[in-house]
Amino acid sequence: MTKRTRLFLTVSGGILVAGLGTGLVAAYVGGFQNLTLIGASGPNELAYVPSDARVVAYANVREIMDSELHQKLQSLHQSRNGDGLARFEAETGVDVTRDVDYVVAVLGGEGTVSGEHQGPPLVMARGRFDEVRVEGLVRSKGGVAEDYKGQRLFTYKDAAPDRNVTGVALTFLEPGLVAMGVDSAVRAAIDVRTGATASVTANEDLMRRVKEANADGNAWVVAKFDALVNGGKVPSDMLQRLPAINWVSVTGHVNGGVRAAMRAETRDETAAQNLRDVLQGILGLAKLQTGQRADLAAIVNSIELGGEGKNVSLAFAVPIEAIDQLANLAAARAAREPSVDAPAAPEAEPVPAP
Amino acid sequence: MSTRPPLPAPPTFANGAIRVFSLSLSEMLWSRRTVFLLLVTGAPVFLALVARIVQGSGIVPLRVNGVAVDGASIFGMMIWVFYLRFIVPVLGVFYGTSLIADEVEDRTITYLFTRPIRRGAVLVGKYLAYLVCTTLVVLPSVVLVYFLLVPLGQVARTFMSFAADLGLLALGLAAYGALFALVGAALKRPLVSGLVFVFGWEQVALLVPGYFRRFTVAHYVQSMVPHAMPSDGVVSLLQSVLKDNPPVFVCLLVLAAIIVATLWRAANTVESREYVLDQ
Repeated sequence: MTKRTRLFLTVSGGILVAGLGTGLVAAYVGGFQNLTLIGASGPNELAYVPSDARVVAYANVREIMDSELHQKLQSLHQSRNGDGLARFEAETGVDVTRDVDYVVAVLGGEGTVSGEHQGPPLVMARGRFDEVRVEGLVRSKGGVAEDYKGQRLFTYKDAAPDRNVTGVALTFLEPGLVAMGVDSAVRAAIDVRTGATASVTANEDLMRRVKEANADGNAWVVAKFDALVNGGKVPSDMLQRLPAINWVSVTGHVNGGVRAAMRAETRDETAAQNLRDVLQGILGLAKLQTGQRADLAAIVNSIELGGEGKNVSLAFAVPIEAIDQLANLAAARAAREPSVDAPAAPEAEPVPAP
Repeated sequence: MSTRPPLPAPPTFANGAIRVFSLSLSEMLWSRRTVFLLLVTGAPVFLALVARIVQGSGIVPLRVNGVAVDGASIFGMMIWVFYLRFIVPVLGVFYGTSLIADEVEDRTITYLFTRPIRRGAVLVGKYLAYLVCTTLVVLPSVVLVYFLLVPLGQVARTFMSFAADLGLLALGLAAYGALFALVGAALKRPLVSGLVFVFGWEQVALLVPGYFRRFTVAHYVQSMVPHAMPSDGVVSLLQSVLKDNPPVFVCLLVLAAIIVATLWRAANTVESREYVLDQ
């Protein structure tokens, strides 16, 4: 064996060993995502979310409102939504399109797989709010202010006994950060703030997925799958047929159009392969069905099935042109449907008896 | 009268194969065929490097109908499109068929066969040299592509499938190499037959419903790929709809059987066949 052959073997083998070694170390320590050099792990407001959160959702309202897509939708539906937003602004002083930067929504961990309810919801919104005006509105609706661990908390209980509502609450966790939701969820957020309980940032499983989702889009949901199907909203027959899914994340990026991706992490690789096979079949059928429909074919052809190991991913894009086409289609269909106010067709003259 | 020293015993089959291996490895590595090998395996590395540079400048390197494709998915697509469908079978054909055919063509086989080494050991030694030569070029290329495309944060999640990729590429090279070593030992124009097998028979058999696919190497190699098959056309769509993936242990058993059986048959063919050199 010549010297240069030995050199070649050493270099090639070295690359191979170094690559495998790096991968092994990464797999052993759980990846390099905890290095601070590599990006942020999600919105800072997660520091107020209890560690047992099972669903975390985020929407960058500012980016979505500024998007070309929103401008287009607004021009289409201005009359329908304009009144609601104007009334909300008149009551709270908050213009959703200008004053809210982003929203974080959380479902807590009290729900059980077989339980009748999901965990308590909590919504946090970051933006510019007139705290005095919001407080006045809450009081005018019958809300009560109280002090909870040094934090001013507004609570409201529905007077109707048949509604079985445990009560809702609202507080400003920081200037410009409002938290609202079920009373227990808001109190739990205050507990986390005071350090009485751990935050979700200590939940490595969830945070790893949150970080990946946060890097992918300006709106996302990361959820334990059983938290999503709690409450009997999904028929038990369907649940039994679904592959064993542990985690689900849905990310969307809204700009000129929409691109979205859904990722599922199954309990094992067989379940993932089954899910991929089912989706691949559905995708094939959808492509065959929409072959003649140019408007839908663009969307269906953009669907990309992927994933490896226990992961399954499905991504698709709706370009702005497709949204235009769909809007035109809806408008044409609406024009074809008879209006409620349209005059009834004249009744036929009775035929004289022979 | 002086007695002549006894002749050394001829090397065993394994020793003979190892001697041919060490002789053939350098020969194979620094041949003109290696330039082709480097070009073929360098292309994905170059593309991955371009993608990395593009990504570094804030531009998404690949979009499918407007959807940004992440690095791990691009890597999966490259494993399918470049390595499994092209590089592995093509290297198997080019190198495997030439193990004996080149010696016949260059009329150097006589020199090998007059050595005190079994003819079968010559083929096995050359096959081992092919295996080391190709795996040590193809696998580092895959490693480079992987680390260029997949962000460090996703390495832990994707490492097992990456390791599986390396394993099945090595297995694919071994299986195709052994099969085409037999073709090279048995047929007069092995390269043409090999190309017809890879780009004709295998492509058609994978698309035909029924049992035909079981008579291909690609069926067993592709059944173990941990990445989703890219849906890049009608052929892929048909393949994905018609696919019937056997369990991994079945694939491993069949591939092992292909390697052992074809290599054994090739060695036997070389032992028994009379190679007539063109004058």
